[in-house]
Amino acid sequence: MDFTVFAQQIANGLVNGMAYVLIATGLTLVFGVLRIVNFAHGEFYMLGAYLTYFAGTLLGLDYITAAVLGAVVVAALGVVANKLIFWPLRRDHEFTILLSSLGLALLIANSGELLFGADPKYVESPFADEILDIGTVTLTQQRVLVFAAAVAVLVAVYLFIRYSRFGKMMRATAQNPDGAALTGINIGLVHSYTFALACGLAALSGALVGPTVMIFPTIGNWAVLKGFIVVIMGGLGSVTGALFAGLLLGVIESLGGGYISLGFMEAIGYAMIIAVLLWRPNGLFSTARGLR
Amino acid sequence: MLGRRDLIAAAATLALAIPFVGPSAGALAQQPPIRIALIGPMSGTGAFEGQLGLEGAQAAAAIINAKGGVAGRKLELLNYDDKGSPEDGVSAAKRAIEQDNVDFIIGGWFSAVALSMKEVTRDKIITVMTSSQHPKVTEEGHKYLFRLNATSAMMSNFYSKAICGQIKPKSIAFMNVNDDWGRLELDNYTKLLGECGIEIKGHEFYNRTDTDFTTALTKLKALNPDAIYVAAINTSQGATIYRQVRQTGFRGKVIASAGNMNPKLVELSGNSLESVYSASPFVEDNGQPSMKPWLAEYRKSYKNEPSFIAALGAQGVELIAAGVAGTGGDPRAYDKIAAYLKANETPTVLGNVRFSDQGQATQPIHLVQVKSKQIVAVRD
Repeated sequence: MDFTVFAQQIANGLVNGMAYVLIATGLTLVFGVLRIVNFAHGEFYMLGAYLTYFAGTLLGLDYITAAVLGAVVVAALGVVANKLIFWPLRRDHEFTILLSSLGLALLIANSGELLFGADPKYVESPFADEILDIGTVTLTQQRVLVFAAAVAVLVAVYLFIRYSRFGKMMRATAQNPDGAALTGINIGLVHSYTFALACGLAALSGALVGPTVMIFPTIGNWAVLKGFIVVIMGGLGSVTGALFAGLLLGVIESLGGGYISLGFMEAIGYAMIIAVLLWRPNGLFSTARGLR
Repeated sequence: MLGRRDLIAAAATLALAIPFVGPSAGALAQQPPIRIALIGPMSGTGAFEGQLGLEGAQAAAAIINAKGGVAGRKLELLNYDDKGSPEDGVSAAKRAIEQDNVDFIIGGWFSAVALSMKEVTRDKIITVMTSSQHPKVTEEGHKYLFRLNATSAMMSNFYSKAICGQIKPKSIAFMNVNDDWGRLELDNYTKLLGECGIEIKGHEFYNRTDTDFTTALTKLKALNPDAIYVAAINTSQGATIYRQVRQTGFRGKVIASAGNMNPKLVELSGNSLESVYSASPFVEDNGQPSMKPWLAEYRKSYKNEPSFIAALGAQGVELIAAGVAGTGGDPRAYDKIAAYLKANETPTVLGNVRFSDQGQATQPIHLVQVKSKQIVAVRD
């Protein structure tokens, strides 16, 4: 076996996997804290990529500023979506919430097609075509950025949830919303902030992954699908689970595509879901209910 | 004696009759327009291509109408959405024929749609198929069917000669989409390029839903070929592949599949398409008399760059106009028009087009290359 190719495929897989992790983290947070299965998560990813694109082309902002602005605006949109749809429905059956999120996803995707046009677009980044040779492995700066930014953001999110006062409020809400409310935690605020954080993360991953591919209004489908595979594998509500499952999925896809057949790359994700659901229905890294 | 009821009835009859009197009285002064249905993907993944085709056809119709139309009658384009799906293409064609009573149909941007739609229009109405490349569109066509685009066999015959004679890679590897067309391309070029002594290093198939191609390209790069041949129809996938070919560090030649080079692809691909070759029936400086006015009209009316797909829309309109004008002006004389188009060369934006008895066009094809982000013809 050619070691250079093997190392390259592992590197490709780790970068793709880290992008999956970034997408899945928001999805798993929203489920863990709010008990919402949010099918519209991918659309916030799409919006992040598009807002970065428009901030770059229309406002003339540089890539990094555009990406941050995109994430902040989408986080604000997340707050609005929560206020209008998910907060009023919080006492309803889970299926009602799930279907509402599906409706929201269709609404955003179709509005996107109308507003942004169906033609593919490209998010310009100064790092996209710059090649970095790390030993025998070749990566673009953008791909290294995807990985590094994801690591930084995940560490920040982890520390935030673990040690900040607000993170403790989030965990309390996840464990028992009524109990948390009784101790004086403002549940409404926790919902809003969690949604903002999740949507901001989705948008940030869209902005980061954007320059490695082309964007069009239906890319959210891809994102939410990968996100769900990772979340189910890692355990619903588990951030550390999402980290390991995302990286695992990326590397297995890359090696499977590289050494078995590219035709199976998509199938690998689904096969892993089935295997995990049969063997550990709560996810590879799950222990009990609550945010981890 | 007339009762109140009779009066109301009479008034109602008059009111109903007036709209019918109006247009027919006007028609005495001016001939009704020739109605052309343009059926294309206006929504869904092919929406951008559908938009380009529509714009090209509209620009051509505007030029013809500004000159007084065809045999004194204006051309009227009616737009239908086939959503890129055979079912919607069939229902659009039925609606065009039965409800809107159109005189001609231009459609068939995707092979799957063309193959189903031609059964609805079979021997009923002159149907011009545009970009579809599947051989069966004309092989199993009907007496009023014409197809503009070259078949994949015609393209590969031309392009393989150009690759062997002008691009001259020593070895080649293929990156093809995993569908009928992608597999056909691989078979054609493996055979044709092998015959002229180019070493075939290997191939990878990717899926139509893939968004990341680094895994496949890493494998191809490891084969160390002189050139990588990319067969991609979809513009967004194509642009990602061309970028990622360079991003994986491949520095050899890149050859793009025939018929799939367009300004949007160049725009999206940045510098990675620079000096990449392709084959295309569309070059701006082909010297055709109708090309310059069409380019001017197109650029004046639309923000997209003129492209092959847009030119196919224009060609469809030009073909219908030439057929009607050459046979005395009756748009429903289908037998005469079809015979005329098969017997005569028709000058169009893309060149003079000849049709076989099956209605398959023979178009000039050019070797093109991207230079300074422009698609230019490579002259010997």
